[in-house]
Amino acid sequence: MVRFPFTHPEPEEPLLAARGITKRFPGVLALHRVDLDVKAGEIHAVLGQNGAGKTTLMNILFGLLQPDEGQLYFRGQRVHFRSPHDALAMGISMVHQTRKLVSAHSVLENILLGHPGTRGFLNLRTIRREVEELCHRYGFTVDLGAKVWQLSEGEKQWVEILKALYGGAKILILDEPTSVLTPPEVKTLMASLQALVQDHGVTVILVTHKLPIVTAISHTVTVLRSGTVVARLRTCEATEQLLVQHMIGQDISSYSISDLLVEKGRPLLRVEHLSAYNDKGVLSLRGVTFSLHEGEILGIAGVTGNGQEELVQVLAGLRPPASGRVLFDGRDVTWLSPLDRWRMGIGYIPAERYEIASVATLTLVENAALNFHFDPLFSRRGLFNHPGLEKVTRHILSHYRVKAPHLYAQARHLSGGNLQKLIVGRVLARKPKLLIAHLPTQGLDVEATAFLRGKLLEAKAGGAAVLLISEDLDEILSLSDWVAPIYEGRFVAILPREGADAETVGAMMAGLRREEAGVS
Amino acid sequence: MWELLVRSLEASTIFLLAALGELLNQRSGILNVGLEGLMLFGGTLAFIAAQTTGSYGLGFLAGLAIGGLLGLAHGFFSITMRGDQVVSGMGLWILSFGLTTYIGNPYTGPLGMPRIPSIFGLSPFVYLAFALVVAVWLLLYHTGLGLAIRSVGENPAAAEASGINVAITRYLCVVLGGMLAGLSGATYTLSYNPVWNYNFLMGWGFVSLALVFFSMWNPWILLVGALLFGMTWQLSLSPELLLPGILSRYVWRAVPFATTIVILALISTPWFRTRWGLAKPEALGQPYAKE
Ligand SMILES: Nc1ncnc2c1ncn2[C@@H]1O[C@H](COP(=O)(O)OP(=O)(O)O)[C@@H](O)[C@H]1O
Ligand SMILES: [Mg+2]
Repeated sequence: MVRFPFTHPEPEEPLLAARGITKRFPGVLALHRVDLDVKAGEIHAVLGQNGAGKTTLMNILFGLLQPDEGQLYFRGQRVHFRSPHDALAMGISMVHQTRKLVSAHSVLENILLGHPGTRGFLNLRTIRREVEELCHRYGFTVDLGAKVWQLSEGEKQWVEILKALYGGAKILILDEPTSVLTPPEVKTLMASLQALVQDHGVTVILVTHKLPIVTAISHTVTVLRSGTVVARLRTCEATEQLLVQHMIGQDISSYSISDLLVEKGRPLLRVEHLSAYNDKGVLSLRGVTFSLHEGEILGIAGVTGNGQEELVQVLAGLRPPASGRVLFDGRDVTWLSPLDRWRMGIGYIPAERYEIASVATLTLVENAALNFHFDPLFSRRGLFNHPGLEKVTRHILSHYRVKAPHLYAQARHLSGGNLQKLIVGRVLARKPKLLIAHLPTQGLDVEATAFLRGKLLEAKAGGAAVLLISEDLDEILSLSDWVAPIYEGRFVAILPREGADAETVGAMMAGLRREEAGVS
Repeated sequence: MWELLVRSLEASTIFLLAALGELLNQRSGILNVGLEGLMLFGGTLAFIAAQTTGSYGLGFLAGLAIGGLLGLAHGFFSITMRGDQVVSGMGLWILSFGLTTYIGNPYTGPLGMPRIPSIFGLSPFVYLAFALVVAVWLLLYHTGLGLAIRSVGENPAAAEASGINVAITRYLCVVLGGMLAGLSGATYTLSYNPVWNYNFLMGWGFVSLALVFFSMWNPWILLVGALLFGMTWQLSLSPELLLPGILSRYVWRAVPFATTIVILALISTPWFRTRWGLAKPEALGQPYAKE
């Protein structure tokens, strides 16, 4: 059942409309003849998979990008947005997917940057009072004097929202606002958005790939797939299932993962009171202790920036710990080099696919060699054994269903999902005893995500211990044997899978302690 | 002693004017390592204009104009063409060095005009430079434009998304900064040492550039640095004013450089490095392309 094209029952004129928007990037047709109608006073959800073109469309509505074809209409009038300046002047504000804040400046400075009332001398005291009033009115609490780099990702997003409101936004575009929030924060955000629309007459365009949010608060939804609008419906007429079908273009009910029964092996990893400093010199990992057996998955759930990065880097040998120690297979490996760790069987999948896990301009074979170069099988007297490496690469490409033009294509030409499959394949091909998987499926499409999760479970079935660091609660809960919510550098708890439900873990990710989160 | 103090303040003025201009540039994210070139050009044209017309006013105007123009040229390469700012700056310096040597050669020698009257024993430019420190501080920290300038230097994408025109803001800063560099050169050849010689600056511009880095992009620290350097520099040029006959003048000549080494050693301590890293405009030297 496809409800497209759709006729609107109300003849009401849209507040903001896009007609026939086409946008090309080198080699990519990001948007193809997209129409969008946003009515005054509604929450309009724009739903789509990663890469569907949502951000591109929003950037065009906000004047950050110019369309190759098509027009924009504001209250029925044709408008040209040459830069965000023009969009802002019409009362259109945007909360970006990648934060657009000056981290060295204070929250207040960020809020008033670009505000039309700030020509000439700044009367900081008055402005501060105005912003405080605004905070009060909308029920926000933000420390206006704090520097933005000191804030969590969630707080930064509130700053952007506040900035939009202070700028007098009539239309607020939010691009994937929930991706950096803990579940309780998501609830707060949804409530605030509803209040904004109902009590303050703001119109909201909410971009997301998360269905529950769409069905919970939006009035209208436009679904994008591969740059085209595939559906446009009223939320009350839509079901989650129908939306998924539109979004993915097929029916997927068979993506649930079967539970594998794995015998628990001997203890493999023991981490004791591990602490580490981050790049700014702040102690951001603060005494983490846990142990992990063969054939177990420990899922570390948390919003990025709570010390996961430092933990992973210390375990991989990329960052010196401030204190504590790491025992692997009964040996103290705290100060071993990354190479020695690889040799001992610690495999590491970094979160940064293009920057750290691969070298974008090297070929696939060379990238596959990144974890094999030290293996005597593949280098003879310091020279690469190309036939051998090609064989391994071919093996990875076929077993991990990597779609690649050929063995000697450059890594940067692979999409995120295919590159990640290559990386995971490369690491798993060494049969690590311990696998550290940092955000292994972040930003990937449904197919690649399900595939890679399956591979993690396979590794576990093969007896590997897996440390899974993820922001995605569903992922943690569906894969892990143990769940450790992390907050501000500490494990809030380590719960057995059976004792962990989404509600509790979500609350703990937001820093609530055991008792507060409702665990006895 | 008094004379040394006066001369030191006047030397500080030269550093201060140029460094304030460079500070403005860098706060907006544009690095101009050709500062010395802008000063050479400003000083030379100011000297020639003043000598041929007999008017100090026209001299300073020429210095300001050429400084602004060269700043504009640097802006064109680094903002519009998105070229490498170090290459462009070095190019400007080499060009200025060569051209001023050629243009100024026939004018080698003293200016031959009555000296600019001093106010309470000090050159008026000392007061001007001090006033400009206050002005730049007010501009950067107490106006919307200053906030825009600092934001553009930290995160141009964020500024753009806030409705700021990144290119115009940066052009404004490179032109103003260039004018200040030109003024600094003109102050040198018309007031501080009114004799034209090829490459008369011999490193004053590079010291000013370094001062900006030492200052952590803060006009008040810049003022302190400029005073300190003006003092040591002057002492090295004329040690006999303070301590006649003690040590050879060549030893004194090394004082500013020794000071530099001490400061560099201080700056490289971890305590300082983290602060310096935080203060440094994050987008400094990086070309910005709209999405
Ligand atoms: N600046 C850019 N240059 C080249 N390609 C881009 C650029 N921005 C986005 N794309 C491509 O356009 C498509 C749509 O991207 P985007 O709008 O970010 O999708 P979404 O926000 O829905 O995940 C993707 O294929 C992406 O790779
Ligand atoms: Mg997006």
